[in-house]
Amino acid sequence: MDSDVIIQAEGLHKKFCRSLRGGMFYGLKDVFSGLAGLPDECGTLRKNEFWAVQDVNFQVRRGEAFGIVGINGSGKSTLLRLLAGIFPPDKGKIAVRGRIGALIAVGAGFHPHMSGRENIFLNGTIMGMSRQEIGDKLEDIIRFADIGLFIDSPVASYSSGMRVRLGFSIAIHAPISILLADEILAVGDVFFRKKCFEKILEMKKNGLSILFVSHSNQSLESLCERGTLLHNGSQVFLGDIRTCVKRYMDLIGDENKKKGIEEMEGMPRSNVGVGNVQFSNILVYQEGKDKNNSDVEYGQNILIEFNYRFLKKTSNDYQLRLGFKTHEGQNIQKFYFHESPFLDGYVYQNEKIISLQKEGRCVARILNPKLFPQTLRLDISIKSMRMSVHEGGISNSAVFRIVEPKKEKMYFEYGFGSITEFDYEIQSLE
Amino acid sequence: MEEIIIYEPDSRKKVGLFKTWTIFFRNSLRFRELILEVFKRDFVAVYKKSLFGVGWIILSPLIGVVSWVFMNATGILSPGDVGIPYPAYVLLGTSIWGLFMGFYSSAAETLAAGAGFILQVKYPHEVLLMKQTAQHLANFLLSFLLSVLVLLLFGVVPSWKILFFPILILPLFFLGAGIGLIISVIKVVALDFQKGFDLFLGLVIFITPIIYSQDVNNELLRRIVRWNPLTYLVGGTRDLIIYGYMDHWPGFIFSAVLSLAVFIFAGHFFFVSEQKVVERMI
Repeated sequence: MDSDVIIQAEGLHKKFCRSLRGGMFYGLKDVFSGLAGLPDECGTLRKNEFWAVQDVNFQVRRGEAFGIVGINGSGKSTLLRLLAGIFPPDKGKIAVRGRIGALIAVGAGFHPHMSGRENIFLNGTIMGMSRQEIGDKLEDIIRFADIGLFIDSPVASYSSGMRVRLGFSIAIHAPISILLADEILAVGDVFFRKKCFEKILEMKKNGLSILFVSHSNQSLESLCERGTLLHNGSQVFLGDIRTCVKRYMDLIGDENKKKGIEEMEGMPRSNVGVGNVQFSNILVYQEGKDKNNSDVEYGQNILIEFNYRFLKKTSNDYQLRLGFKTHEGQNIQKFYFHESPFLDGYVYQNEKIISLQKEGRCVARILNPKLFPQTLRLDISIKSMRMSVHEGGISNSAVFRIVEPKKEKMYFEYGFGSITEFDYEIQSLE
Repeated sequence: MEEIIIYEPDSRKKVGLFKTWTIFFRNSLRFRELILEVFKRDFVAVYKKSLFGVGWIILSPLIGVVSWVFMNATGILSPGDVGIPYPAYVLLGTSIWGLFMGFYSSAAETLAAGAGFILQVKYPHEVLLMKQTAQHLANFLLSFLLSVLVLLLFGVVPSWKILFFPILILPLFFLGAGIGLIISVIKVVALDFQKGFDLFLGLVIFITPIIYSQDVNNELLRRIVRWNPLTYLVGGTRDLIIYGYMDHWPGFIFSAVLSLAVFIFAGHFFFVSEQKVVERMI
């Protein structure tokens, strides 16, 4: 192995069993067949078994940060456990040079009734530090965790964020040359995440190699040089981190499109109201971009286009309603447009005046929305205010996505984003 | 240059029987602080929520002593022909039997003792056998000292050979911990083995001369007792303390060698097999 390579994985495989009893039975069988000196069945899948990690190959060099990317259940944590030596591989080989610190879950072995300070010694030794090392760094650990007087309270009384602070602080003060980090930055608050991130960057400068599992593109891109994308246990991509993240986004897109269609079936388009208005050609897209692409970058203006047609338009007191819902169907924002000023000339805040024809195409423009990256649904309806009747509408009329911006952003920016800050206008009416 | 660690399927199969033990010794030495910290967690922290605290460690056996003295005073247990007050005879026997059972049951939790972090951190799992044993011995020591106190109250003065006690119990450790280590691995995938063995050992006390003397009338029982290694390991140790001599030295030596063999084999079995079950510790 090249002296600069600190982790090398070759043809790595790991299998698990889907059923509990089956897994236990196989375990017993393996133990006894090993005892009897029979050949083991590591390399092949038995009934109900599947590859949690399949044929993974990569190298990590000294001082390099390597991202491991993939959706939930793609095999990331299993891969980390293989690298840490917690699980033996079923096929393939791993070579590791140096002392590994695995942060698969922070606070391993914490005793709830022992104080934070006592648990530092307990958890520190479990992480492979000596009492001497812990004693020397005790003050640094406590300062970095920054949990104030709670350090002498039992860990059971900590919030989950405080546990993470303490656990993470212990882990990064261990004298390690390789850090395996499993989505650790996702838990703490924004300030702690920033602090951890800076600390990791500093340690990296001092030669620490990092294997980093994360779902945050910003963190991945600003920390890692290279990465690998896993999907269903297989290695889909290996190479530079930008391409890796892009491939991941494409993959999520695919998964989401699949999901979108599936969920549209579960929560289908449905007509509301008395059917006096019909809508067609509904499009949601990013201003200035392809109309047929329903991906909108975070922070960019959203355009909503549709045709409407009244069977019978009897008055000028109609209200057009547009609503955004989450994928789960929870309303997050409604936009109202009125033909006549509502109630004695009073116009509510966030309501706009429009005039509707019997038939036309409407373009609504949502300005500067601060919506988290997510999949959203659109509801459209028109209501007669005087009659208090829904003339017509479609719920779940379109599905669109807010995606992470391509330009570089600080990884924690969304933490401050608000989803209610927006402005809107209705653009052209024909 | 740092050491390169290689992980491959079944790499431990290639490790020889005695190489296993050098690895065990080296790891136990290297991870002594881990053993100590986890010992502290499990031994002391248990009492953190009690007002009386670690005082309970003394209190429970003390109550036991009172009950033995009470039984003797009321004559519930009629004295048999064992040369000393019967309760004292039984107390010492059951105490040594408890030591053996403790070696077994604590070793059977060797893997489980790390359940809180075994899937998060890599450490040599066998070192927690030391912690489990230390925890058991710490509990035993106090109750044993109190048992000796009861002996004195009964007017039985232990032989000076009690000084050999720490050596005499080694075979009990080898046998108990050996069986325990094997159970510790297998119980992860089949709890039945532990349940079954607990039951089995619970019955073995009846074929060991602990609550009766070795000179039983029934021929079958006498034969079983003679072939039971615990007759020599538990009974012999007790006899040496009470009477100052052991009837069957050859039986004791033979049982001790057998126990050592079980232990050496069990350690190797643990080392090779635990890898196959750790991932199933869910």
